[in-house]
Amino acid sequence: MTARRPQRGWLALLTATVAFAPTVAIADDQLNFVSCPLVRDTASVPCWLAEHDGELYFLTIQSDVSAPVTPPWLGHRVLVEGTVSKEARICGGIVLKPVHLSVLPERDASCSTILPAEERYNLTFEPPRPPGPSGGRLAFAPGPAAAPPVGGTPRPAVRPATREFVVSYAFDGLVAFNHSGLLSEMLTFARAINARSVDIVGYRGAVRLSNGQTMVEEASIARRRAEQVAMLLRGANLTTPEYKVQWEDRPSEADGVDDHLMRRTVITVRQ
Amino acid sequence: MSPPSARRALGIGLVVWTTVALAAVAAQSGSSEGWWSPGQGTPLAGFAVYPNDRGQVGVLNASGAYDTKGHPFFEPLGSNGRACVTCHQPADAMSLSVRSVRERWAATGGRDPLFAAVDGMNCPTLPAGDPRSHSLLLERGLFRIALPWPPRRADGTTVEPEFTIEVVRDPSGCNLDPVYGLRSPNPSISVFRRPRPAANTKYTTHQGFGVGAFVTKNGMPAATDPETGRPTSMNLMADARVPTLAVQAQDAARNHLQVAGSLTPAQIARIVEFEQQVYAAQATSATAGSLVEPDGPPALGPRNLAAGDAGVLGNNTTRYVFPLGGKWAPGGATESTDARRAARESIARGHDVFMFRTFWIRDSMHLNTVGLGNPTKRTCATCHGMHMTGMDTANGWMDIGSTNLPWASEVPLNPWNQAKPQLPLFRVTCKADVRPHPFLGRVIYTQDPGRALISGLCNDVGTIVIQQFRGLAARAPYFSNGSAATLRELIDFYDRRYAIGFSEQERQDLVNFLGAL
Repeated sequence: MTARRPQRGWLALLTATVAFAPTVAIADDQLNFVSCPLVRDTASVPCWLAEHDGELYFLTIQSDVSAPVTPPWLGHRVLVEGTVSKEARICGGIVLKPVHLSVLPERDASCSTILPAEERYNLTFEPPRPPGPSGGRLAFAPGPAAAPPVGGTPRPAVRPATREFVVSYAFDGLVAFNHSGLLSEMLTFARAINARSVDIVGYRGAVRLSNGQTMVEEASIARRRAEQVAMLLRGANLTTPEYKVQWEDRPSEADGVDDHLMRRTVITVRQ
Repeated sequence: MSPPSARRALGIGLVVWTTVALAAVAAQSGSSEGWWSPGQGTPLAGFAVYPNDRGQVGVLNASGAYDTKGHPFFEPLGSNGRACVTCHQPADAMSLSVRSVRERWAATGGRDPLFAAVDGMNCPTLPAGDPRSHSLLLERGLFRIALPWPPRRADGTTVEPEFTIEVVRDPSGCNLDPVYGLRSPNPSISVFRRPRPAANTKYTTHQGFGVGAFVTKNGMPAATDPETGRPTSMNLMADARVPTLAVQAQDAARNHLQVAGSLTPAQIARIVEFEQQVYAAQATSATAGSLVEPDGPPALGPRNLAAGDAGVLGNNTTRYVFPLGGKWAPGGATESTDARRAARESIARGHDVFMFRTFWIRDSMHLNTVGLGNPTKRTCATCHGMHMTGMDTANGWMDIGSTNLPWASEVPLNPWNQAKPQLPLFRVTCKADVRPHPFLGRVIYTQDPGRALISGLCNDVGTIVIQQFRGLAARAPYFSNGSAATLRELIDFYDRRYAIGFSEQERQDLVNFLGAL
């Protein structure tokens, strides 16, 4: 598996996290911005919002660890990469869907707003895992499957000899809670084929913001990503294969559309 | 209490306590009630109850009455005369209450193996026989845990920590000691922790929900069973430094029993076999009556624990964390006395507070960082989600502020207070090439770095493995550092930490609920 977006030429070296770059128009319905997140209480679960250019946008509701979009954090700014949808407002905010959220690592104490519940902003749908008795509704999606016993999983009839895995990250992010399932999948596959080689390539991303600026990930992030994945697989006792660990320090070219896809590590496991 | 009287009371507290203890020594010549001595050799009944302030705790041997004579859990194995049972007493739900510690001091004048210098003393270099040398054990039920610094893996290799650590305060003297301290030839950090129950272990070692090759909190490799290679739930001990009961037994034998060399495989097998079949939970409530009636609440009592499903995440639809059924709910209880009915209704209300009373949980590492957002409007049961025990199902270390400042309980320093801090204080500085802790920044002050002393990770500073909730009434004080003397203090800590605003009724109901587990 490779990134959906084809590789393009590299931007000139950028020395700052945020750099001015030639203005490139991005799609009208695409919004990329950095802001303090806001949390609004409701009669059920809170919803998460962010302001941009005087408008309020809905990011997600509080859900659980299995949700495709998980909420940001107060105390930190959030990078929002979203598409303006035509859905009715939720919690007073224009809905961004799909949306990719990156909690920025630096602490920002100014991001501290909790808005009280207002009846007009109550959710018009039943959220998963509401507090209190919930009438039998399933409260959570199944978590990542437990790793099988060593030497365990049944072999399918035809198993590919090579498989590519892509670990996607938040901006400036490394492996986090939501990667344990994919890592387990890699491990299971590598063990099942008695993998001889694991090739790992880490990449560094950039994001074209809606204000025309470009945010570039930290300079060493590609190396850190690649080395971390190797460390994790070795740490899970996958020590037999030969590891080839590489990284690309030059940031990807940002187009403001699907820049999140470029924050990745590609792992090729071969028999 | 006015400041002068408070000063007087605090100032003479230790003296009074010592006097009372010595008087008790004079009055008693045998073992204290319920105390199980190493090598005692009497059978452990198939089901036995032991009194405590809130009723009786029940201890069930699922395999029937247990012959303890010659059994390695009950026999002294090392040089200091202790056995496993020394710190895992049946009367204390297979843990150890500070009350038992004090009674034992009084009964033996501090000569019981329990007070061995290696860890039953604030530091082994302190004067023997002086209660002040054992103040952390006598006052908070804490044992000294000495961990190598930098951390070492099971294979002996060194973990490169993400942070540096300095000693800010060292009341025990052990962290700056030339033999035992951070700058000694074998650099060690001494932290002080409570022993956990050696019971209900099918829950603490389950292979169910959340157990995988990688830790679901941060994606790091999970510890594996050295015998089978399988990932473990990493829920043993305060810092998950041992993956299995067998490894824990070996670790405890060396470090707490002072066994020279190693336990034999046969000894370990017998210890593990015992721990896998013993269950402990409150069996009787002084106010609500029997907790083990045949048609009683399905979560209560040790037999229900023995029959329960392990490794299951409780939820609010199909499987509660502690299912009580509806019989004790307000309006549902049909007891013969108003007092008993009221007590049972209070327990049921406490359950509902635990499960459904929302509050904003914020800035808690490995909870707010695992996809729930910060803050998240959830309930006690969000973190304490494991069916029947209230632990986290897997990889259950979390920072709720029990050891990290600014939330950890600290002695107020002012001219009217003569009490001194008892626990060490460390300054942890995350290295420049490491991301700062998302909620505490680059410099963290902590009484106990918790899991970080094993993993070396900045984000693990002050994270402690969530404990099981069973037999609580038999084993005060609470939290890994014994900072909550009572269940009420435990609840008050949460109320302060998360600005919950519990009503007086909610607090009392929670106390009654927790005390019935």
